[in-house]
Amino acid sequence: MAKTASELVSDIGGLITLPDVYLKIDRLVNDPKSSTTDIAKAVSQDPSFTARLLRVANSPLYKVSSTIDSVPKAISIIGVTQIRSLALSMSVSKCFAGLPNELVSMENFWRHSLLCALAARLLAKTARRCDPDTLFTAGLLHDIGELIIFNRMPEQAKQALEMVLDSQDEMAVNEAELAVIGFDHADVGGALAVRWHLPPVLTECIAYHHNLAGAMQHPRETALVHLANVIALMAEVDTLELDDVEPIDPAAWEKTGLDLSVVEPAVRAVQTEIVEIEQLF
Amino acid sequence: MLTPSIKKPPPPPLPLPGFEHVKRSWNAKYEAYAARILPGEFYVTRRDEGIYTTLGSCISACIRDPLLGIGGMNHFMLPSIKEMSDSHAWGSAATRYGNFAMEHLINVILSNGGARERLEVKIFGGGCILQNMSDVGQSNIAFVREYLKTEGLQVVSEDVGSPYPRIVVYFPATGRVRVKRLRSLHNNAIVEQETSYINTVKSKPIAGDVELF
Repeated sequence: MAKTASELVSDIGGLITLPDVYLKIDRLVNDPKSSTTDIAKAVSQDPSFTARLLRVANSPLYKVSSTIDSVPKAISIIGVTQIRSLALSMSVSKCFAGLPNELVSMENFWRHSLLCALAARLLAKTARRCDPDTLFTAGLLHDIGELIIFNRMPEQAKQALEMVLDSQDEMAVNEAELAVIGFDHADVGGALAVRWHLPPVLTECIAYHHNLAGAMQHPRETALVHLANVIALMAEVDTLELDDVEPIDPAAWEKTGLDLSVVEPAVRAVQTEIVEIEQLF
Repeated sequence: MLTPSIKKPPPPPLPLPGFEHVKRSWNAKYEAYAARILPGEFYVTRRDEGIYTTLGSCISACIRDPLLGIGGMNHFMLPSIKEMSDSHAWGSAATRYGNFAMEHLINVILSNGGARERLEVKIFGGGCILQNMSDVGQSNIAFVREYLKTEGLQVVSEDVGSPYPRIVVYFPATGRVRVKRLRSLHNNAIVEQETSYINTVKSKPIAGDVELF
């Protein structure tokens, strides 16, 4: 049994990897000598990715007035770092598929991730000064550590879930994981993000969405993902009562400058949006 | 009224005979003990304590005598849906398990002083949490409704069907119920608990001699 989250992540080796197209874009985005033409070229080398990119660029996710029919146009309208986020977002479902398990259906897991991504994106727009596409990716990836735990330590994961069911008022899953395993899915996801050299903002959102005080560099984005997770849970069980889901850390309001009034419209919005977005990724 | 600053919970109230084995734990939020029942189990109390369970396609009936504050909760499902739909009568082998669960609960309430004409009934569960098991929850709901109708018992409130598992906490002394929908992350763990219960039920058939009041 792995003793730490990073030990667990180092075990998964080849099970899940980031696609070449993301790694290429990532390298170019970080290289001051590269141009958008270089990035467009890297994207175009992967025809299937290009097709999906254009589909997403023309989807309701981006309400652009003209049709985006080429990669350079997509880059100029959506932006370079946003294309990198998208490249990552579009590989997430493939990563999930590499982590099959008996505890949760991929369909249900994907749905929660996507609801969180949509909520994070929406909140980022409301909060301003945050990149909605980055937050979308963070939302998609926030619980990836859960799948790793489910895949690698099924017995302990089951014990943790049973502990939640045995608790009278639905104790938080991550608390049950801490009690049973000694670390939780946020720790595992964070360790994976580090191993994957994901941008620090994503690493912090994934690692600290249940522990806001841990986010040193990107507390605001992390708090947005924390809120988005709660909104995703509310959307899933179809409730507008905060009491029905995991509690919101009051620090999240302070860090984001948002207040309770965002919750209800966000729940309704993501319930609607997910219908059209579900097929895109 | 207890003050919320109590740090050490009081000792649990004495259980009724026959329920000593049921696990109970302190709930700081409700400031009361609550008994945890699993599929196939039931619990009756005349004390100020709660009873809770998690439901997938199973049903929990919460029944009490409001005058005396005696009441309880069961947790059951019918083993073979096919068998049930093949049979038009409610007395089939399948429904016997439902009858058994309902009668046990009601009989213990009555034998502790509850009056049949005062019984107040609430029903929960019967969710459709796995797509390929869509009719299981519905059949369980249909069974319990039919059972209560035959017995002339009124349902005062219910939360049944829909695609969610639930956690239900019931306080017989006051009739208060807290139903919380659970996220789909818990579906498989709940289905597994219910499946292992139903397999146990199938492997040791019960005698058809439930006492009727």
